[in-house]
Amino acid sequence: MSTTVETPPATTTRFGDPTKTSANARTRSMVGRIVTHVCIIIGVMFSIFPFYWLLVMSTQTTAQIFGYPPKLWFSTHLWENLNAVVHDVPLFQSLLNTFLVSLAVAVLVMFFDSLAAFAFGKYEFPGKNTLFVLLLATFLVPGSLSLVPSFVLMSWLGWTGSFAALIVPGAANAFGIFLLRQFAQTSIPNEMVESARVDGAGFFRTWWSIGVPMMRGGVAFLGIFTFITTWNDYVWPLIILVNPRRLTLQVALSQLNAIYSTNFGEVMAGAVISVVPLIGIFIIGSRHFIANIAAGAIKG
Amino acid sequence: MAFSRRSLLAGTAGLGALAAGGLSACGSRTSISSDPNELVIWYWDRSIDPALLSIAAKQIPGTQRHLRADIIGGSFDTKLRTSLAGNAYIPDLTNINSNVSLYFPNEDMFLDLDELGAQNYKHLYFDWKWELGVTPTNHFRFFPLDTGPTGFYYRQDVFDKAKIPSDPESVGAAMKTWDEFIELGQKLKRNVGSFMDITAGQLFGQYINASPQRYFDKAGKPLYMNQTSTIRDAWNMAVKAIKAGITGNQQVSTDQNAAWESGKTAGHIEAVWWAQILGDTAPDTKGKWRLAKQPVRAGNSGGSFICIPHTCKDPEAAFKFITWLNNPQNQAQAFNNIQLFPSAEDSFTLGTMKSNTGFFGDQDPLTFFLEAAKEVPTSFISTYEAQAAFFGTEITNVEAAGKNPDRAWDDAVAQTNKILRKRGVNV
Amino acid sequence: MTVTNPAIPSARVADEPSTTERRPRNPFKRFWPQYVAVAPFYILFLVFGMFPLIFSIWLSFNDWDGMGQMKFVGLAQYRFLITDSRFWLAVGNTFLIWIMSTIPMLFLALVIAFLLHTNIRAKGFYRVAFFIPNVTSAVAMAIVFGSIFSNSFGIINSFLNWLHVSQVPWLSNPWGIKVVIAVMVIWRWTGYNSIIYLAGLQAVSTELYEAARVDGANNWHIFSRITIPMLRPVILFTVITSTVGGLSLFTEPQVLFGNTSNIGGPADGGLTIVLYQYYQAFNQFDFGYGAAIAWALFIIAVVFAIINWRLVSEREVDGQKVFKVSRKQRAANASAEPTEVAAK
Repeated sequence: MSTTVETPPATTTRFGDPTKTSANARTRSMVGRIVTHVCIIIGVMFSIFPFYWLLVMSTQTTAQIFGYPPKLWFSTHLWENLNAVVHDVPLFQSLLNTFLVSLAVAVLVMFFDSLAAFAFGKYEFPGKNTLFVLLLATFLVPGSLSLVPSFVLMSWLGWTGSFAALIVPGAANAFGIFLLRQFAQTSIPNEMVESARVDGAGFFRTWWSIGVPMMRGGVAFLGIFTFITTWNDYVWPLIILVNPRRLTLQVALSQLNAIYSTNFGEVMAGAVISVVPLIGIFIIGSRHFIANIAAGAIKG
Repeated sequence: MAFSRRSLLAGTAGLGALAAGGLSACGSRTSISSDPNELVIWYWDRSIDPALLSIAAKQIPGTQRHLRADIIGGSFDTKLRTSLAGNAYIPDLTNINSNVSLYFPNEDMFLDLDELGAQNYKHLYFDWKWELGVTPTNHFRFFPLDTGPTGFYYRQDVFDKAKIPSDPESVGAAMKTWDEFIELGQKLKRNVGSFMDITAGQLFGQYINASPQRYFDKAGKPLYMNQTSTIRDAWNMAVKAIKAGITGNQQVSTDQNAAWESGKTAGHIEAVWWAQILGDTAPDTKGKWRLAKQPVRAGNSGGSFICIPHTCKDPEAAFKFITWLNNPQNQAQAFNNIQLFPSAEDSFTLGTMKSNTGFFGDQDPLTFFLEAAKEVPTSFISTYEAQAAFFGTEITNVEAAGKNPDRAWDDAVAQTNKILRKRGVNV
Repeated sequence: MTVTNPAIPSARVADEPSTTERRPRNPFKRFWPQYVAVAPFYILFLVFGMFPLIFSIWLSFNDWDGMGQMKFVGLAQYRFLITDSRFWLAVGNTFLIWIMSTIPMLFLALVIAFLLHTNIRAKGFYRVAFFIPNVTSAVAMAIVFGSIFSNSFGIINSFLNWLHVSQVPWLSNPWGIKVVIAVMVIWRWTGYNSIIYLAGLQAVSTELYEAARVDGANNWHIFSRITIPMLRPVILFTVITSTVGGLSLFTEPQVLFGNTSNIGGPADGGLTIVLYQYYQAFNQFDFGYGAAIAWALFIIAVVFAIINWRLVSEREVDGQKVFKVSRKQRAANASAEPTEVAAK
């Protein structure tokens, strides 16, 4: 679990100030800690509850789900719901597909976005501001705008039904560039870039040896975030993927909604399957969220 | 610097290769399958019997072709339309749900089945179902799959408790008209506090489904503004039902399921296929439900069609598949396997259909719905009905938000006409 | 945009504009690595963003059902849009839900970030716990919330019943619907935003705090005069993403009411702009009108982004002026500043 990679806090904070060592302050700090924990635990319960509810429903039959009063504890039908999912959709194939597509998009986004963000955040070049404003403008374009035209474009390219239609358009995005640019500006000291230049390093070397390590918290975050959003992407794959052997998980699971009847227990079991790997990946990757982004920044 | 340039070169080369690959793949195929002997059909889960599909996957009887069946999940219409519009990845055969009229404006996208000899099969199917597949220009392009004759489902135990007629015969006799239906509902409400149906919108819709006249005539002329019209009658009935308090204002499916399970809502007018949903969502109520004739006459709700897109690589073989799939024996089998209610009347006389599940006690749902199917009036569903959804929205506003019924009606007419004018219809 | 803080002339890095004068050369020859670095996004956008965009502009001047012939209708779609009461209802709903969700969400996210930033145990576990909602698919969770808030068997109403409080018809009342959708948004995105804030907090240099303490500042001063100003770029980012996300809200109401007779739910209480656009394009197959709605949404989004930007950036300057920080730390911070100043 991620708890093993705690880094000592970089800052003095509102509670538990180590410079005050009087007994009074210690008591206050104790109370502060308890209050903090209680607040956080309440928050965590709200955060976790719907997920718990999903798990509970995945173990129930459809009739139990719609029963009154609601049953708060697990039932015994998980296995049969899971079996129904495996029987009705090509689950393992689409799990693998989804994993590969999400990984490809995440890696490409981390690469291209960090390059662009480094250039935007730490360098001056003619036309930079115009380009950046353009980039922000694209950020505001509603994604739903282009569903139909994109489908037409993909059929011209011959990408209908192929994963290229999912991977290539998303290989770089305004969101990530904007996010990483903020990281670049706040966590890479100008002096370091300057001294790299004095040492004769070019742009790409500086990006690789200074930019990437200094932005790594942001880059890792972006990678995981991209992976997750790609994994959960629904409307576009639903439109573009027509080959039943090449489906992503969300699209495969959408087929559980039969036209005349829906087995809710099965749908919930499917949802659990689509969520569990993501949580695993998130937990493995979560230490990157902790990574002290300002680590290595010039001190004094 | 050498490192970064090299990686840059590699990256650029990669991008270039990608772009070249994309361009060379230009000019995609119209058909999904490149195998000349393989026909592809699009359908959704539980709309074709898998056992029949696996026979056709080896060989479509009477042809040299075989069939690949692709399950298409949600957004079926969107996918089909975008494929047809983009002229790429079009299946050789496709199912279409009860909303076939949506495709009437672009009917040329589908083959006229009469040219393939469909008239020879017409006598096998219910007339009203066959007619729903005929376009306003009198081309038969959509072949009958299953049907959805309707009836009044009700909880006998709750009706008993309310001390009102509770056996199918006397319930049917007690509600020969919609006024009687509402009166019966008031008794039910007064005595045990249960509702006759989930929403007024449901009653409104089923009233129309059981009427020969609907929103538009075949020429696309709106009928709802006439002095007397089905839509106005259905509206008045629904408003009366709301005022009488016999509908439950349960607008979301999860609430509806819970209401039927608990008996808070003790009835529902819906098609034969609803029995399956009911069995899945409220299995504990098994044996408590019965079926009675709904007021006036039975209608049709749902039921799908199969058709052949104009790009089909072998229309004869595709048509052979359609007629084989829908012969009375196979429709009877599809009923036994996945409860698709036949559109071929002979299916019922074969004696192979398994009927009673015990869900309706000793009542045989098959006999009930066969009688209902024979009563369904022939009607015409216009392509513009999708634009007339405001009537359903507004009756919901009356029920859920307490909107004034007269204002709601005027708003529904005004909004529908506005949209129709936008679509170039003279109103 | 290139406003350089005159107080810190040494802050500009590497290829500072002034050096250009000394070595006048073709800008592309000098700056090619930067252009190459930013190019992939623009190339991809040109192909996969620009083309559909232009196509959709063209579409909005046409009448097209997605299959038949396109018919040019000029501004008719937009004229219709102006007088379409359902569109304006959708605009109103979208803003109400946006306000009902964004304000509590960002506030809660800040609180959680501060709590997590204190030196507490099990921080890693908490962080994962708060982020889990964002990981789950919105489709599945909309079904879950539909059942939690169900009028007749939902756990919330069971709880109210147990408390002897009258039950709320969450899913058939226009306000109840908005509350449910806002709760779903808050639930899904609070953890995400707090992780971003936390990253921002951790990026704040320790020395700033130490310097402030030496100057005798108390916790509240540190919070309001250092932490918040230092977090401004991050707050700006979350406000903008929340605006864009809020304006394009779609999945939650679509899954909640997708299979009811009325796509926006009872009395259209959950009809959002994008849902209405989706309805026109993929239910009514009026692609021209769908495109016009999308463009109207785009204009609204741009206006709001500008307003947001101004609000956040103006307060930035106030925050910076008040507290004294050493030159060096200001220099370190300055690179975050030009963006905000530029919007003036």
